[in-house]
This record gives sequence, structure tokens and C-alpha cells, in this order.
Amino acid sequence: MQLSIDDRWFREKTIALSALYQVVDPELCVNIIDLGLVYGLDFDDASAVTVTMTLSTPHCPMGESIITGVKNALSGVFPEKIAEVQLVWDPAWNYTMMTEEGRAQLNL
Amino acid sequence: MADINIAKAPPNYVVLPFYGTGALFFLVLAVMMLFTPGEWGGHYFTPHLLAMTHTAALGWGSMIIFGSAYQLLPVICESDLFSSKMALASYGCLTVGAGLLIASFWLFTPGWMMITGGALVVTAAGIYGVNAYLTMGSCKRYSVQKLFILASAGWLLVTTLAGLLLAINLYEPFIFRSHLDMLKLHAHAGLAGWFRQLITGVSSKLVPIFLLGKSGKIRLLYGSFVCQNAGLVLFLADGLVFGFTPRIFFYEGLIVLGVVAWLIWLFDCYRNRVRKAIDLPMRHVFFSCLCLLIALLLPPALYYSHDHVWALVYGLFLFQGWITFLILGMTFKTLPFIVWNYRYKHLSGKIKVPMPKHLYHEKWLRYQLGIHTASLLLLVAGVALRQEALIRTGIWIALATAALYVGNVVTVMFYKIKTPADATVHR
Repeated sequence: MQLSIDDRWFREKTIALSALYQVVDPELCVNIIDLGLVYGLDFDDASAVTVTMTLSTPHCPMGESIITGVKNALSGVFPEKIAEVQLVWDPAWNYTMMTEEGRAQLNL
Repeated sequence: MADINIAKAPPNYVVLPFYGTGALFFLVLAVMMLFTPGEWGGHYFTPHLLAMTHTAALGWGSMIIFGSAYQLLPVICESDLFSSKMALASYGCLTVGAGLLIASFWLFTPGWMMITGGALVVTAAGIYGVNAYLTMGSCKRYSVQKLFILASAGWLLVTTLAGLLLAINLYEPFIFRSHLDMLKLHAHAGLAGWFRQLITGVSSKLVPIFLLGKSGKIRLLYGSFVCQNAGLVLFLADGLVFGFTPRIFFYEGLIVLGVVAWLIWLFDCYRNRVRKAIDLPMRHVFFSCLCLLIALLLPPALYYSHDHVWALVYGLFLFQGWITFLILGMTFKTLPFIVWNYRYKHLSGKIKVPMPKHLYHEKWLRYQLGIHTASLLLLVAGVALRQEALIRTGIWIALATAALYVGNVVTVMFYKIKTPADATVHR
């Protein structure tokens, strides 16, 4: 996920990303940002923060816990907002979406 | 995520009893072996060997597989488990049924205890099959994994029904064919129908997840399904009507072809994996597959040699090798995640929590892999060479494997949550 300094919500998105770094895929032991699971953040709704994301595999056994982690992390930094997760399978996740750091952690 | 279902795992109280009881039966099996080293060179139809085989097949293999299947069916079927109460009922029936059967074989007392045990195991198989079928029924998507799982549940029912009839036959003979021939059919329906097809189905869903791998050769799995089932049906039908003739090699060839197709598919996933490092639980799977391949080479020796040693070696590679290696590894790919989901899911993203792999002793798992390999090799060598000293050593090492495994399972199941003192609060 790319961040632009021109983005109207740059500050909020930086805080959100920093929080989402703490959410780790329990099977791969890599955080979801470095895995490239997070596709987008939306702050347009004043009462909510919406994360558009995917999972490394559809119906991942740990999917529910990852989504709970995302909501927990965002609720911690934006207590006044409702944390929502929009789960999508398109585009499907693949390893090229991982960051250099994520690849290094998986010895790729 | 409005229209995307994230299947929820069943509650822990449904799944954990299977793991705990299975681990206990594994320990009991090792203790039973301690009392029988002198019986490993003769015929396999002895009270103690029958008791140990049923401990391995029902108390250990089927118990853990039931538990993990209830956990994984929602993942495979992409829908919630149909009924937790039915899962618990199958646990009760399987535990009591296996206990009664094992005790009655050990003491060799054909009669009400053996028949009741057999009937309870049939009931457990029936409940499991209905629960699996109804869980899959709510899923719209069709997949080869579902075919394997449904077929394996059907074969389990066939196997347990045949077992019940054999238990009745021991008390009140009524089967017109040789009891030992029927026993072979019962055993192969269980091994090639229940265990192998369930393992094929579940592994074809989970191995890509664990390795972050994929294979586009899905036809191999469909081919494997057709070959495994056609071979087994023909083997059983021919065996039932005409007895064991050299035609069994044609049927076995079909089954082997099916297994090889599945292994090629697994290898393709392995080659196309993202995750390069292979963790310890997955290394157990490699040894498990190796034991299965060796076992599949043995039927000619079983058929042409009148030495019962081959039957024991075959059984060792299948039960102590293929099934046990798989469970010893896969327990630590499932159980820590089940416990972690219960203990830490609600804390994830709030504070730093341990990962599932931190819930067990990795060093113990490494020792477990090494000593179980040593134990299997010693047992096979001891049986093949008729060296009781080797068998005794192998059994003591098997007991150490069981102790390590049970210790690690207990560690995971009773892992104490360490927060907030041990956890770093990020914000």
C-alpha cells in the first residue's frame, strides 16, 4: 500500500499503518503490512475508518483473528471511530505484494 | 466483508477433548508395547496385537483426526460446522467404544463388551459422517477436497460396520468366509478408505496454506480420487467374492497410481511455494509420506511370503510411520492455533502477544522427530531380524516419543496467558 504526502488523510493513514504493523499473521509470523494484505485505508466517513484488505488464502484458518487484530489496532489509535474491514479477493494476494522486509522475514 | 464468509471454528470445548484423549491413547499404546516385545515375531492375530492396532487406529489416529477434522471442516467447506453437539456426541461414543474394544481385545473376551464397543464406534462414525455431510451441504462451491472427505467418511462407516460384524462373528460365528480374510478387508477399507482419503483431501487444502504454495494440476487430485476408490472397491469386491488372488496387484496398482498422483500434486505445491523454509511440523509430513511409499511396496512380500513378519513390518510403516509421523507433526500445525485463537485473538493488535509457535517447545518437537525415526527403524529392524533386544530398545524410545508428545500437547493446552506483565503494550 502506497502513501502520498499529498493525501488529505496522510497523517491519519500514517498513524493507522503504524498501528497495523502490530497485527501479525499467526501462521507466517509476519505483520500484515509487510505481507501486503492491506490494500487501502478510507477516512472519508467521519465516524469510521475502513480498511480494505485480503488474506493470504481465501478462508484462511486464522482470518477471523487477523480481522479482529485489525479492528483492535485501529480502535486503539482512533477510539472515536468505528473500525471496519472490507475483505476482498480481487486482486488475489500473491507474494509480489510483499515488501522487501516481509520477503526477508520469509527468507525469499 | 459483507458477502464474504469467514468460517468460524467450533468452540474449543468441542475440539480439545479429541486432542487430549488422542495423546493419552498414544501414551497408552506405548505402555502396551512395553508388555509385548516377545509377541512381535509371530502371527498378527493375537489379543495384544489386536488391542494395540485398535489403540493406534481408533484411540490415536481416528481420535486426533476427528478433532482436527471438526476444526478444519469449516475451513475446507467454507462454512460453519453443522453441529458442535454432534461432534461432542461422536467424541463420547468414540472414546467409550475404543476403550471397550481395546480392553476386550487385550483380555480377549469376545462378547457384550467387544460388541458394545464396536457398536459405539459405528455410532461415532455415523455421527461424524452426518455432521461432515451437513456441514458441506451448506456450501455451494464444489471441490475435490469435499469428494475425498465425504468418501473417507463413507469408508469409515463401512470399516466400522465390518469391524462390528467381525466382533459379533468372534462371539457367535455366522460369516461364511475366513475370519482372517475378512479382517484383511476390514483393515484395508480403514487404511486406504478412511485414513488415506481423508489425509489426501485435507492435505490438498492445507499444504498450500502452510507452504504458501500452489499447483495448477488439479486433475491429478481428481485422478487420484478415481484411482484410489476404484482400486479399493475392486479389491474389496474381488476379495469378498473370490478371496485373495494375484488380481489384487492390479487393484493395488490402481491405488498406488492414485497415491502417486496425489504425491506429485503435493510436490508441485512444494516446488511452487513462496515459503522456502520448511518448519519442523512439515518435516514430519515428509517422513510420513516416505513411510507410506515404503509400505506401498510391501504387498508382494505379504502375498508371496508366508512369514507373518511382513505383515508386522507393513503395519509398523503404516501406523507408526505414515499415520503417527503425520499426527506428530500436524498436531503442532493445528492445536497451538486453536488454543491461540481462544487465548490471544481478542488481544491481537492491542498488545504484543506470543505467536502460536511459541506455545510449544520447539526443541522437544525436534527431539521428537529424531527419536521417533530411531524408534521406527529399530522396531522394523527388530521385527525383520527377529531381534528382541532391538524391539525392546525401539519400544522404550517409542515411549520417550509419546512422553515428549504428550508433554508438548499439555504445554499447549494449559499455556497460561502472560499479560500484561510479560506483554509489551504498544499504545
